[in-house]
Amino acid sequence: MPNRTSISRRTFVGSLAGAACLRAGFSAGAKVIDCHDHLAHHSRASWQEDDRKLIDAADKLGIDQLCCSILSPRRPATPEAFRECNQWMAEAMRRFPGRILGYCFVNPGYGREAPEEIRRCVEDRGFIGIKLYNDYVAREPVVWPVVELAISLRVPILHHAGHATWLSQPQPRISDGGHFAELSRRYPEAMLICAHISGGGDWEWTIKALRNAPSVYLDTSGSVVDEGVIEMAARVLGAERLLFGCDGSLTASVGRMRSASLSDADKRKILSGNFERILSRRGAK
Amino acid sequence: MIDVNAYLGHFAFRQLRHNTAAGLLELMDRAGIERAVVSSAAAITYRNAQAGNEEVAAEVKGHLERLLPFAVLNPAYAGWQDDLKTCREEFGMRGLRLYPRWHKYRLSDPSCLELVNAAAARGMAVSIPVRVEDRRQQSWLVDVPDVDLEEIAGLVKACPQAQFILVNGSGFISSSLGRKASGLPSNYVIDISLVTAVLADELGRLLGNLGEDRLVFGTGMPFHYPGPALAKLEVLEASDAVKEKIRRGNAARLLRL
Repeated sequence: MPNRTSISRRTFVGSLAGAACLRAGFSAGAKVIDCHDHLAHHSRASWQEDDRKLIDAADKLGIDQLCCSILSPRRPATPEAFRECNQWMAEAMRRFPGRILGYCFVNPGYGREAPEEIRRCVEDRGFIGIKLYNDYVAREPVVWPVVELAISLRVPILHHAGHATWLSQPQPRISDGGHFAELSRRYPEAMLICAHISGGGDWEWTIKALRNAPSVYLDTSGSVVDEGVIEMAARVLGAERLLFGCDGSLTASVGRMRSASLSDADKRKILSGNFERILSRRGAK
Repeated sequence: MIDVNAYLGHFAFRQLRHNTAAGLLELMDRAGIERAVVSSAAAITYRNAQAGNEEVAAEVKGHLERLLPFAVLNPAYAGWQDDLKTCREEFGMRGLRLYPRWHKYRLSDPSCLELVNAAAARGMAVSIPVRVEDRRQQSWLVDVPDVDLEEIAGLVKACPQAQFILVNGSGFISSSLGRKASGLPSNYVIDISLVTAVLADELGRLLGNLGEDRLVFGTGMPFHYPGPALAKLEVLEASDAVKEKIRRGNAARLLRL
């Protein structure tokens, strides 16, 4: 896999004739940060090719930086499993400096190992945040020490989420907007990111559940391409609380943002401004 | 560009914006889409789907150059033969849309085969949306699975004289519909609205397996944003000539435009 020493700076100029208005929000030279993505677990024989495909597509679509984690395919993740993922993530950050930023993936159920790993990744390896999956619901007390550590390190927590309308939930410990709202009332200074509003589930419910939780951010990623989701999120939560993300669905996520009827200024906030503000907190004294 | 996958009217479980002829045309203009196949979103849940077709027929009046109406019909409902005749002869509808899961029938039912054959005899294409909404967000009132792709394969095989437009689907590559040399007739095209284009790259693989004449541009507007389908064409590794077929040529041939 070739080294990349500089960030690819592309505008979001599409190649399709007649799509001028769709392009307009991206043609002002806005930097684009994908706040939610993943690199492939190395148990996949095609992991290098998959990572390359992701970055090539990001190049074509004008995404400058990808904030990624690697998740263990078997969950709940053991300490050995999440350490291995983070080791690979650190290697990827070295291969693509400035292009790939890393989240430290942990299972908060390991009360000693998870904080140790977070400290090592953030303080020694330059990871930019913490990634939690569905090992525990965000409001469970076992998550609190991780939130407190994130506050002290001044890094965000990107938390897997979804609010399915199904009566039977295939992910029994998945968190939703209501859980993050509850957690944010306990820790209003935490930078919590509710993952993928377009990742499947009732997005209208999620947006409404987060309305009165002003410290919770919402990422725009996911494969569902329902018209209106970005506009409703911006109207109800404010563009300042939205973060552009893809979660592997690059064309869906870029296309959603291009189509959304928002001002250029609001799009710039979502595409990178808000996340740059989050990243700057780590460097602040 | 021709969008083979668009809708007008209200949907029972979510407010749609841009769902009038004027609204949809504005969205199409912003996306650079010249023409769109449209059908009634309301007819998905109306018992008498023909009422939805009448609403669409009224809505597209004066816009038939750009909005190409398709009829939603239920072969299990009384009077579909009369409705088909009205939709074709009075409303000028160019095709059918079938919702076998929402309307509770099988594509292999004799009445469905009769409807498809009757539509084909009138020169109407048959569009099958594999899904209306992502199942994880369906209302608690309903539990409607996606249409099984092998069930669709059975229909295209059973009705080789019909022309099918399969929309709002994914996972074709794992079914006989997306396999090379599957033994199926080549009487169907697949819209790109929900197929993946990056990691699993279903779009590129379908192009390789089925050839450049079998993919068509579709968005799912106004249920969906148009941008994602446009972005897929940007990342697709194919010549401009092939992309032009997907954008317009294949649909124009099938719809006889």
